[in-house]
Amino acid sequence: MKTLTNVNVTSFGEAASASRTARQQGSVPAFSGGGSDLLQQLKDGTDNADVIVNLRSVADGRTIQSDGSGFAIGGLVTLTELAEDPSVMTGMSAIAQAAASVGTPQIRNVGTLAGNVTQRPWCWYYRNGFNCFKAGGDECFSLNGENGQHAIFGGGPSFIVHPSDVAPALVAFDAIFQVTGPTGSREVSAEEFFVLPATDPSRENSLNEDELLTGVRIPSVSANTVSTYYKVMDREAWTHAEVGVATVIQRDGNAAQNAKVVLAGVAPIPWRVRAVEDFLAGKQINAAVAREAGEIGIEDALPLSKNAHKLPMTSAAIEAAVLSLAAG
Amino acid sequence: MSEFTRQGLEPLSTIGNDTPRIDAIERVTGQAKYTRDWKLPGMLFGKVLRSPHPHARLVSIDTSQAEALPGVQAVITYENAQVVWGAGSVNGGRQYNDPTKAATIHRRYIFNNPVRFVGDSIAAVAATDRHTAEEAVSLIKVEYEELPFVLEPEEALQADAPKVYPEGNLCPDFRGEFAPMVSDIGDVEAGFSDADHIFEERYDTGFIHNAQMEPRCSLAHWQGDKLVLYTPSQGISNCRHDTARDLGLEDHQVQVIAQYMGGGFGNKNQNQDADLIAATLSRRAGVPVMLEYSRREDWLGVHGRWPTVQHYKIGVKDDGEVTAMQMVGYSGMGPYRKNSGGISGMDAYGCPNRYREISPVYTNRTTSGNFRAPSEPHGFFGIENMMDDVAYKLGIDPVEFTLKNMRRPTEERPFTNYSLDEVISDGVERFNWQARRKVVPGSDDGPIKRGAGFSFMMFRAGVGTSSAIVRVNSDQEYTLYVGVTDIGPGAKTTMGMIAAEALGTPLSNVEVVWGDTDRCPYSVGESGSRTTIMTGLAVVEAAEELKRQIADKGMPSGNDVLIGSATPTPTTDGKTRQCFGAHFVEVEVDTRVGSTKILKYTAVHESGRIINPTTARDQIRGATIQGIGQAIHEDLLYDPRSGQPLTPGYYRARHLTHKDIPDIDVHFIEVDDGYGPFGAKTAGESGIILAPAAIGNAVANAIGRRMKSMPITRDKILGAMA
Repeated sequence: MKTLTNVNVTSFGEAASASRTARQQGSVPAFSGGGSDLLQQLKDGTDNADVIVNLRSVADGRTIQSDGSGFAIGGLVTLTELAEDPSVMTGMSAIAQAAASVGTPQIRNVGTLAGNVTQRPWCWYYRNGFNCFKAGGDECFSLNGENGQHAIFGGGPSFIVHPSDVAPALVAFDAIFQVTGPTGSREVSAEEFFVLPATDPSRENSLNEDELLTGVRIPSVSANTVSTYYKVMDREAWTHAEVGVATVIQRDGNAAQNAKVVLAGVAPIPWRVRAVEDFLAGKQINAAVAREAGEIGIEDALPLSKNAHKLPMTSAAIEAAVLSLAAG
Repeated sequence: MSEFTRQGLEPLSTIGNDTPRIDAIERVTGQAKYTRDWKLPGMLFGKVLRSPHPHARLVSIDTSQAEALPGVQAVITYENAQVVWGAGSVNGGRQYNDPTKAATIHRRYIFNNPVRFVGDSIAAVAATDRHTAEEAVSLIKVEYEELPFVLEPEEALQADAPKVYPEGNLCPDFRGEFAPMVSDIGDVEAGFSDADHIFEERYDTGFIHNAQMEPRCSLAHWQGDKLVLYTPSQGISNCRHDTARDLGLEDHQVQVIAQYMGGGFGNKNQNQDADLIAATLSRRAGVPVMLEYSRREDWLGVHGRWPTVQHYKIGVKDDGEVTAMQMVGYSGMGPYRKNSGGISGMDAYGCPNRYREISPVYTNRTTSGNFRAPSEPHGFFGIENMMDDVAYKLGIDPVEFTLKNMRRPTEERPFTNYSLDEVISDGVERFNWQARRKVVPGSDDGPIKRGAGFSFMMFRAGVGTSSAIVRVNSDQEYTLYVGVTDIGPGAKTTMGMIAAEALGTPLSNVEVVWGDTDRCPYSVGESGSRTTIMTGLAVVEAAEELKRQIADKGMPSGNDVLIGSATPTPTTDGKTRQCFGAHFVEVEVDTRVGSTKILKYTAVHESGRIINPTTARDQIRGATIQGIGQAIHEDLLYDPRSGQPLTPGYYRARHLTHKDIPDIDVHFIEVDDGYGPFGAKTAGESGIILAPAAIGNAVANAIGRRMKSMPITRDKILGAMA
């Protein structure tokens, strides 16, 4: 095992600067919040970082704050804290449910919001050391290989699926992503934050070198908002979503308003299904509407050779998610 | 829940009582010393360089940089350390046969050229610490000439397939002949002519890694010409013999110590290449060497259950009488023949006309070898799904179909006892089979469908030779010496209980000495479900011998001790001795997402008299859990273009988590057939044999579609429903 240099920092700004300094000195820096996945990637050789910028010594970014309407969630909030926070559980249950569905209790206890949202893909080609787009190469090996877990939406030239459960829930709540770099901080929308492979197949988000996600801001959550995260897994724990559906509506009686439906596990970024959102506008939520929503949800899907099963799965998951938000 | 029905058995004093493991405290308090826990003065750490290619010729190797790295004390390669690993590849997969090993055509060395799978070993280093060893391995330069590779067994037998060996890809049999394994009983063509219906189907099953928690490790320590080997072996006596032979030593020059180990499930039989590599490194370096594989190395570099393809043809009369059975199968052995490649199951039927042809085939995948009931779970999955399908197509209850066609004792082939009828009928009642199964498969309305499945099995419970020594001192304290170790089933405790019972003393008065070939006599080893019946019989005989001495001379006094020993060669008087089982499962399949949930699981077994109910029950449960994982989750996917494995390890192979494991009701019908220690039979492997079959049948009963490819994953269920 190679030698790693650990740099303890006390603020996000200092973290970004430490990263830049290391890079300027010819090292490869990596930010470490919980570090659970980073450690495995270092062992596997899929991440060649040699300077670890340790965020555990950062005091900021560890709270969930509400101003009565909106929320600010720190990037270093753990998934366990996110899943168990009373205000998140009541006001944004999709986020709490998504956090609670990640990995195992051990992973959730150290894994952070920012780490979950920005984790690298779990594609078995990338993680087994293939020199694919995600590793700096110029090929997606899944296209003519084992692609049972790969994208049915938004793929090409890379067909990874975004691995985060929390990210689709954040997108469904119109989260603003807060980013800090060596020269300052900025806020970006979900549309700007997540990057399709058609734009840049080597990465999943728009973080530049030495920038890190420090938190998210949810502008406002109205009192009649209800939400859910429905996750289809191939076992009961320690697995990523085969498909996940974050659904947020403002419920007027039993009618859906301002629906947001965002998918996990089926596209290279958290995937908004706007056709379903449009369809749900003003609809009474019942079994027939939910079923139709599920059918509409896969109309634009483009399956690969071995992942057609994700279509009925996605339909069923959308249907279940929507139906679970019916009043009463 | 669990229950023990003792048929005509007198209760005993120690045997038959729930008994905690005698080493439980050491294990749960961290005092137990596993191989990796040993630290010897000057001990180095080894690391193996492995092939990144599925098939390649090694053109050259340059170890100069590795050797120059400070801390590196030995570097061995395919060029300078050509040690045959006898158990690593054997003609016909005959693991316990010295002459066959000596005559083996395709021998496996600790390092091989060409390398024949991703993970094949090329070289190894020993250094002062693990990190230096890892760095040294990365400094070895190898020039590869990549060769064409083949992954699928049927494809490997095509004329134009890449050849793993010059002779082709069909493995040689134990005689060294390149022919399939054929069993031809009766007149199968006449049987098909007699049939009113003929059914044909293809089944396939995946590669399953044993996935024991403790990866392969070995600590080698030379003391002059004697090798002391600390290694988690499932059979210390065979490990000693194999290691001695491979290294050109006499048996007495090798001492194997396996005091505690973290599971085996067939992954740790005999000796392993890690033992030979550690021993060779240690001899070169002149100090002890600890070699431990990483999880990925263990997954890819050792072995797992062989993947199979099974083509069945079944002839049956209108009334459900099976007139002919035929199976042509292919087993993917990887590039080395570590085991038979067997596909069992058809032999559980009594049909007089049976043809079975199995081609064990070399491929460039990870090696296949022993895994708990090596030939059975995948074979029973195939034949039991086939027969269940036939039964439903004929409109017959599969239980009735089984009772009509299962193998029964005959005058020519008598059994020591036969309890399949009782085991099945007990399961039918406890599970409420008639209420749970769908007479019309897939008939539940709506997308969530329930169904029930059943399977049965019989499995060898023969008796054989081991040795035991029992000593008593003047304090009337007993010491039992048995060459067992404990891979999970609790062999140490079982041996102690058998001794205590035979000696008429409490278990607490029997000290058990185990896991060291210098201190313990020969034992067959913890494989083939043999320890309880074989070593257990030796314990009984040794105790009887000691009791005769005590009766003759009286209890020893002062510094005296009395010692009884035995190496019995028991027989079953020419009768077939089997354990029996039937499993019943109810599943709920959500056909919208393809998920399979087990609602009820009932396992009924007859394993003779149960020595320790606690561990026997857990053996059936543990085996069933592995069977469920095999049925609906586990596989090792390969990228077809590069020949690289994609899903090694617990995360990728999708083993069951605690949250996935259902309640499993285990019931034993206990009988004493007059053979085996106090009537005990086998239990360890039996539970896994029929679990995948029963689950497959239950899924088919729920959804009305037959799933012919295992594991039955969600994508396959959704594909079948589409």
